[in-house]
Amino acid sequence: MMQIIKKNIFIIIQKIDGIIRGIADFNAYMKAIVRSFRSLRYLKIRSLYSIAVNQTRFTGIDALPLVSWIALLLGATVIIQATTNFPKYGIESFIGNLLVIIIARELGPLVTALIVVARSGSAIAAEIATQTQNREILSLELMGIDTRMYIILPRIVASFVAIFTLIIIFDIIAFFGGYLIALTSVYIPMGTFTQTLLDAFTFNDLLVTITKSIIYGVLIPLICCYYGLKPKSSFEIPIFVSKAVIRTLLVIFIINAVISILFYF
Amino acid sequence: MECEEIKQLIEVKNVTIEGGKQNLRNVSFNLCLGEDVVFFGAEDSGIDYICPLLAHAFEDYSGEVLYKEQHIKHMDFVEVHNFRKIFGYLQRGYALISNMTVYENIALPLRYHTDLSEREIHELVDSLIVYLHLSHCRDLRPVILTQSEMLRTAFARAVALDPDMLLIEHPLEGQCLWNAQIFLQALQNRAFAPNKTVIVVTYQPLVYIDIATRFIMLHEGSIVFDGTKEEFETFENEYVKQFVDVLPYGPMTLR
Repeated sequence: MMQIIKKNIFIIIQKIDGIIRGIADFNAYMKAIVRSFRSLRYLKIRSLYSIAVNQTRFTGIDALPLVSWIALLLGATVIIQATTNFPKYGIESFIGNLLVIIIARELGPLVTALIVVARSGSAIAAEIATQTQNREILSLELMGIDTRMYIILPRIVASFVAIFTLIIIFDIIAFFGGYLIALTSVYIPMGTFTQTLLDAFTFNDLLVTITKSIIYGVLIPLICCYYGLKPKSSFEIPIFVSKAVIRTLLVIFIINAVISILFYF
Repeated sequence: MECEEIKQLIEVKNVTIEGGKQNLRNVSFNLCLGEDVVFFGAEDSGIDYICPLLAHAFEDYSGEVLYKEQHIKHMDFVEVHNFRKIFGYLQRGYALISNMTVYENIALPLRYHTDLSEREIHELVDSLIVYLHLSHCRDLRPVILTQSEMLRTAFARAVALDPDMLLIEHPLEGQCLWNAQIFLQALQNRAFAPNKTVIVVTYQPLVYIDIATRFIMLHEGSIVFDGTKEEFETFENEYVKQFVDVLPYGPMTLR
């Protein structure tokens, strides 16, 4: 019995040690990025242009159909549930508030971030890991190119632009697409629906959307690039791509909860 | 070998690297502007450290590598940035950027390091593409290039900034010598240009006999031969003779 307890304690200590080392390593990576800001004066925007444009296209425009479908289905589900159940409790006048709370404040940014992590985060990690293995990253460094600025900066800009735009589009489609689908089961006048939405929407909601876009836009490429630069052999690429996705998702859920507490608690 | 002070490019003093599969033991040499040097030796002889050492690609060594009397290990971020502009580096395996076309790969250092307009870059890159017979694959990505096309693209990228020093690692590995002729001709032209230094690390020193002015052989991390082209050609050094003639017996033993 004592042996099992000792073994479990040892495993827990090892896990904690691993987490501390991981945080220290990520901290060193962040410091290196901050140090790289010195190379900004040498950075020619044109050399980053194609990376930023391609990343924005892949993260934003190419993800649009998927985001639209998910927004539509999610919006319809929430609206149908709200319009069928709220009248039972006599709180149908709060439908607009519920939509803003669930879709605009939480589901829109969160689901958009999840889609971006699943599509672009994994792609970023895999691309950089492969480039590291093919010594392409080393070749950039040997050319005198600051790889941290060259690889990470355009991806952060692209992710922010794409995520912010996708969240707005997600919310609009979820509200109005969902409304149209919901019309098949319940009738709500369009004017009433729009008015309740506008009444429920506050400046704080816009601020939260922008804050989440910035934080997710920075964190997703940052964490995925960190894991993309990690593999020491091609055997490790899938392991670190998987870690990149899972840990970014975890961080996003934590950040989402923290922002909600800070703004609405 | 000594060079005139004004032409001194890089000086390597008593460099030792230990702990890896290859080692360097107290290696010292000078590189002068305009000199074309071939480093050769067997696998694990330490030759693979030469280019990364000169390019400041790692710092885990003892001894000194001096560029203009400044220890490159002590360079700060900005000095390293500027130092790396003085050389072109053709890596083993070529390491072309896989999501860029031939044109974009060659244009990359120009776009990053120069203030040239896109039109000027276009003209410069196009002239390199024509010079190295790459016009047919200008807009192709590395994945569909042949080995010799990749080599020529990597060479074009390395010389795009017209650097003083060109570092080349095992360029003919996996190459058909017939197809590599364009590269070898371009390399010779580069080597013969005034004040341009070419450093080649290779297992095939004889291929560069018409290009290099100096040959340095390493064995087990130490320099066992450092001489002119004429001295190399006599094959009097027993290490050189054993290596070039591929003899099983001599001062080196097969591992």
